Amino acid sequence: MIPVLVKRDFMSRVKGAPYIITTILGMLVFIGLTFVPALVGYLESGFEAGHLDVMVLEQTESFFPYLQEVSEDVYGQEEVRFTLAAGLNEKEAFQIVLEENMTGLLLVDPPLFTLATIDGSNLAQNSRLQAIINRALTRANAERLGLSEEEMGTLFQRVDLRVRQIGTADADGKEIDSEEYSQSLVLAYFLLFMIYMALVMYGNMVASGVAEEKSSRIMEVMIATVKPLELMFGKIIGIGALGILQFAIWIGTGLAMMGIRKTGLFGNYSQLGLALGNIPVSTLLWFGLFFLLGFFFYASIFAAGGAVVSRVEEVNQVVTIILMIIIVGFFASFVSFSNPNSTFAVAASLIPFTSPMVMFSRLVLTNPPTIQVVSSVLILLVSIVVGAWISSRIYRIGVLMYGKRPSLREVWRYLKN
Amino acid sequence: MSLVISDVTKRFRDVTAVDSLSFTVPEGKMYGFLGPNGAGKTTTMRMILGIIQPDEGSVTWKGRSFGRHRKGLFGYLPEERGLYPKMRLDEHLVFLGQLNGLSRSDARQRTDLWIDRFALGEYRHKRIEELSKGNQQKVQTIGTMLHEPEILILDEPFSGLDPVNTALLKEVLIEHNQAGKTVIFSSHRMDQVEEICEDIALIHKGRLVLNGNLRAIKRSMGRQVLRISLEGNQDFWAKIPGLSLLESRQDYLEFRLSSHVDPNQVLATAMEAGQVTRFELVEPSLDQIFVEKVGEGA
Repeated sequence: MIPVLVKRDFMSRVKGAPYIITTILGMLVFIGLTFVPALVGYLESGFEAGHLDVMVLEQTESFFPYLQEVSEDVYGQEEVRFTLAAGLNEKEAFQIVLEENMTGLLLVDPPLFTLATIDGSNLAQNSRLQAIINRALTRANAERLGLSEEEMGTLFQRVDLRVRQIGTADADGKEIDSEEYSQSLVLAYFLLFMIYMALVMYGNMVASGVAEEKSSRIMEVMIATVKPLELMFGKIIGIGALGILQFAIWIGTGLAMMGIRKTGLFGNYSQLGLALGNIPVSTLLWFGLFFLLGFFFYASIFAAGGAVVSRVEEVNQVVTIILMIIIVGFFASFVSFSNPNSTFAVAASLIPFTSPMVMFSRLVLTNPPTIQVVSSVLILLVSIVVGAWISSRIYRIGVLMYGKRPSLREVWRYLKN
Repeated sequence: MSLVISDVTKRFRDVTAVDSLSFTVPEGKMYGFLGPNGAGKTTTMRMILGIIQPDEGSVTWKGRSFGRHRKGLFGYLPEERGLYPKMRLDEHLVFLGQLNGLSRSDARQRTDLWIDRFALGEYRHKRIEELSKGNQQKVQTIGTMLHEPEILILDEPFSGLDPVNTALLKEVLIEHNQAGKTVIFSSHRMDQVEEICEDIALIHKGRLVLNGNLRAIKRSMGRQVLRISLEGNQDFWAKIPGLSLLESRQDYLEFRLSSHVDPNQVLATAMEAGQVTRFELVEPSLDQIFVEKVGEGA
């Protein structure tokens, strides 16, 4: 019986415009991600400060040489040019700035530095100028204190902290490459968002599918023929298959584009590109597992939600409540990101409402103890069965109720009955 | 060898929708299930189908209480019609056939036959939502019969159909019944019930009022209906005790005759009053029985 139902739910949607459009849009996003690095590179050129041509007004004229020195040493005359406004007052100097179409007028009166410019909101320009001023100031101060170039280098020396992850089984540990870690962070964000999107999108589809069956009144014919539980699972499996197909297409597109990009056709990798380019197989498998477990857990809740309303228009009211729970899970994952082994993260990765997202994030970011992973999956599996059982009871009674939406107390009575 | 509904009760909160209801539908009968609006017909049908469980009592088929949803046993047309609006007509019928246990090829073959029979050929690839109400109802009715169910339960199958399709559906139902299948249907059109049903059950306020063979019921009503038309004094009947006027029509007067009144006596009295052109003893119509029985309880 179920295969017929699954097939109907699958076929009736897979040919529909909404499904085809979202699939294509998703593919475009994945293709777009391939071009992001090149695109970012192109756009970045627009963010650069460009040529700086600054007139400097300084009474003592003692700081100006340092500015000029830095601009010559670091950027060269082409990039950055300072001109001294000798013997002019502020008004006259600014007049020249305007006439000559210069970047601005820098008023120097240490420790006060003021830039008068007609393009004050150009942050790239402002921060570059600030960097130059600070470098020049350091040089000026070093000279005043009588420090040599070498001594100055010593003063501003920097080191990086190396981190070594030590496990009980692995005393030597593994060095955490901060570059690599931030890559896995990006990857975790991205995949987490995909799981979140899948839960919301396909969950909604289940709820509105059930409500459609109610509002079109086909429900009574259906449950005269098949068990409500079969009907519910037929729908969940059919829509789950739609989700798997859609994600397979998207991820397939992503991987194909990755292959094309490896040829170097689209310029250098950005961080995201790099992270996605090196998805470990294990991560993809974990993604598949928690995608499915999370979907099946939430889908039966969505189905029950769809069953307690009479019309499709009312679905949103009920779905919103379920969405809130998913959003909590989503944010719990974010919070866990900063410390994937904190008590909070461990707890959230065990609670079935949040575990599909949190446990998955932890698996990408760190190596949680096996016992936690196994418990998380087992709890989720048990919760799927319990949730389906509870939902099917609500569903069974809800599908024949029309008119007023049942109150929570009535829903509770369905469960006891 | 029959469908036995015994002592079935269903309550919804403080309302008793069906109240210790018992009746038997013999296998292979065309059975009329009657009652005024809100009498509990739909609830009873749902309990027969196993969609809802009775609070008390049981429903058995051929002596066995069946578990929920014996595949293919039933065909059901609920009062609230409904199909998947986005599915195509032929695809929908094949789906319903498969749902009831037919193989895909079998379901296709039968779908083709029924589409021809109900003259739906030009719509076969149309979406359900593009069809007229009447055509949707035809599709749904076909869907209940595609798998040739042992028991066909139809809630108001004729409502919304034009005379041509009503005649067609009657023909189809009679055929199905002659193939040995049990057909239970409800209707508010008593003439249709009289025309095709052998047996009926009449319920009111969740209780059984009447059931059994329709002809026997009519006979057992004890009172007969007398139709007289005469040229002359129309008030002749006032002198006869036990005669009460049911209806005064242009073509005849209709009376209810109490059992102790001798029809010959009435005829003699009428002949004295004038020229009798019509004198007819008839059984009460189902319509009259319905109104009388349901009116009593109200």
